[in-house]
Amino acid sequence: MKKLFVLGVILTLLMTMTMAVTVEMWSWRVQDEEVWQEVEKRLQAQGEDIQIEFRGFLPTEYDSKMLMALQGGKGPDLVYTRRLPGGRTKAMVDAGLILPLTEEINFEHFTEGVLNNITQDGKQYGIPFAIQVVGVFYNKDIFDEFGLEEPKTWDEMLAIAEVLQSNGIDPFFAPGKEAWALVMQHAACGVSVLGPGWIKRLTEGKIDFLDQDWIYMNSLLNDLKKYYQKNYMANICTDMDAAFAFGQAGMVFYGIWGAQMWKELNPDINIGYFMVPPDFEGNQPYAYVYMDGAIGLSVNSQKKEAALKVLEFAATPEFGTIFSNITQNIPAVSGAHMPDVEILKEVNEVANQYASPYVYWVGSELVTGQPSLYTDVLSPGLQAMYSDEITPAELAQQCQDALSQWYQPLINRLESLQ
Amino acid sequence: MKTKVKHILLFVLPALFFYTLFVVYPIGYSFNLSFYSWAGVGEKSFVGFENFKTILFGTFSGEFFNAVWHSIYFFFMNSIFELGLAFIIAVALTSKIWGRRFFQTMVYLPNVISMVLVGFIWSMLLNPQWGLINSFLELIGLESWAQPWLGQKETALTTVVMVNIWRNIGFYILVFMAAILNIPKDLFDAAYIDGAKNNKIITRIIFPLTVPTMQTLAILIFIWSFNIFDVVYALTGVQAGPYRTTDVLGTLFYRTAFGGLGSSRQDYGLGAAIVVIIFIMVIPLSMVYANVLDKRSRGL
Repeated sequence: MKKLFVLGVILTLLMTMTMAVTVEMWSWRVQDEEVWQEVEKRLQAQGEDIQIEFRGFLPTEYDSKMLMALQGGKGPDLVYTRRLPGGRTKAMVDAGLILPLTEEINFEHFTEGVLNNITQDGKQYGIPFAIQVVGVFYNKDIFDEFGLEEPKTWDEMLAIAEVLQSNGIDPFFAPGKEAWALVMQHAACGVSVLGPGWIKRLTEGKIDFLDQDWIYMNSLLNDLKKYYQKNYMANICTDMDAAFAFGQAGMVFYGIWGAQMWKELNPDINIGYFMVPPDFEGNQPYAYVYMDGAIGLSVNSQKKEAALKVLEFAATPEFGTIFSNITQNIPAVSGAHMPDVEILKEVNEVANQYASPYVYWVGSELVTGQPSLYTDVLSPGLQAMYSDEITPAELAQQCQDALSQWYQPLINRLESLQ
Repeated sequence: MKTKVKHILLFVLPALFFYTLFVVYPIGYSFNLSFYSWAGVGEKSFVGFENFKTILFGTFSGEFFNAVWHSIYFFFMNSIFELGLAFIIAVALTSKIWGRRFFQTMVYLPNVISMVLVGFIWSMLLNPQWGLINSFLELIGLESWAQPWLGQKETALTTVVMVNIWRNIGFYILVFMAAILNIPKDLFDAAYIDGAKNNKIITRIIFPLTVPTMQTLAILIFIWSFNIFDVVYALTGVQAGPYRTTDVLGTLFYRTAFGGLGSSRQDYGLGAAIVVIIFIMVIPLSMVYANVLDKRSRGL
């Protein structure tokens, strides 16, 4: 009996000593689970006995759940965080819920532009994992079938839409029920049609939302709805994924992250990409590029040493290679080997050369205050405009009324005009 | 036998402790929080009645009253269908119709399905392109009736209400059936001997004797209508689209307090103020409503 007891104690001790440290991670990107499984394997191959427990949440629920958990002194060791500047991430940094990593991590593989999205008061608060590129994705086979080429101007894009529609194909598939996707479309069109210069003047308070160009931008999109699929206001992004992957629709306004899903649904699909064309020939089109997010270290982590090992790995080109090969997204870390996927290389090239330096959706000051241009005005406003409840000019007025409540450059402008 | 106070306390205190912990404290905390501005992290800042002013008269009033009207709409529709229809079905299921037992089970089935699953099922059924409902309408030659049910102002809220009724009506039928089966059989026998037809039996015996049940259910519907959240969240999301046309006080509160995609303010204080207003609306109105119904039932 005594021997059995001693044996039991020894076995328990051995098991405890050899048990891997489990690092818990929360994210809104459920598609990243496989990435962290691979990272776990690589770390273990390097002799690090670390397990990564990845948990994905609905994007709409993630922030509140993560924030509540951290605020309550619990939650995971590692959390996916949004960009800086941004209300939520800034509040987390200010409250000390995520820890600075400047002293812990080597950030040499990140460009300054990328690091700006995680830096506050000279300190870095996360490891950026991806950049996203938004624009128009199209079905190359359908374009080839009807002898179509990537448009250089807005009118050429409309001509393509006409051809597709007359041949029984939905020119665009719009997930109208998901307001965020409509705002993203507006923003992707804005960087090319309005241009970075116009957006810069807007953010500086030199012009405002009642500018004719902004109303014109709204009108262009409102006029585009005749090329959307029937009953588009009741469709969601998963409907769009299926419709685009299987050739029901020729084009979608979306981000590069969608490519993975389209390929999964239909491995034979040939996807092409073009930046939203400007409305005048000769004008430079731009791509909407933004840092998707970063991985932050929770202040509540009880396994900081292991969590930092994971973060150290996430800051290497090796991680970038794993990440881009699995998710078909563009990694934020430089020096990664991109997979041999034409669309990914093309979009990466565009991101490097034609990223708009000024934007008014995610990554912009205009969406960090309340009411936000994104969630409070354009989200319901675009749905209302598409449903003919309000006009493009009325939508512009709503933007003006909302942002003039808090956005200082706009307040200053309006005061100077009085 | 005289019961000692300490014995009463012995039985009451544990329940009172948990009631205070899980009901009284959160309500009190919400009242307190409604006087602050707080994003969920960092310091709270005291703002007095500013949150209430913003909700009732300020920049938030449009969204708030929009949600209030939708909650009222929920109440009226639920009252008509969940009480009216449930009563009719309950009468049918307590009579000797064919397949009675099968239907008794079937009508309650949606009630045991989780709301997340209800949302998933109905989102598929209502899909504008390949959903069963539009496909069926097209199949029988009613193409013009096929609609983007959850994507347009004209139908979105009513569709959500109808899904809610589909899910909950089983409960009301069950309660009505219990009330009807409780009516002494002698009353029916006497009425039939006197030559009463079925419609007379329903209007003169069953209906009057189930009115107290109806009153109780009406109060419950009133309270639940103003606290509705899950069905809207499951079908149209936290954004309560299109353009807030399915927004109710529950979703407005969630968006305001917890943020997330489609959030409006992300301020726990403002969210708490919404909860306090809902509380202030529901409690007194429930009491007045119950009182009026009670007096009416007693013929006062």
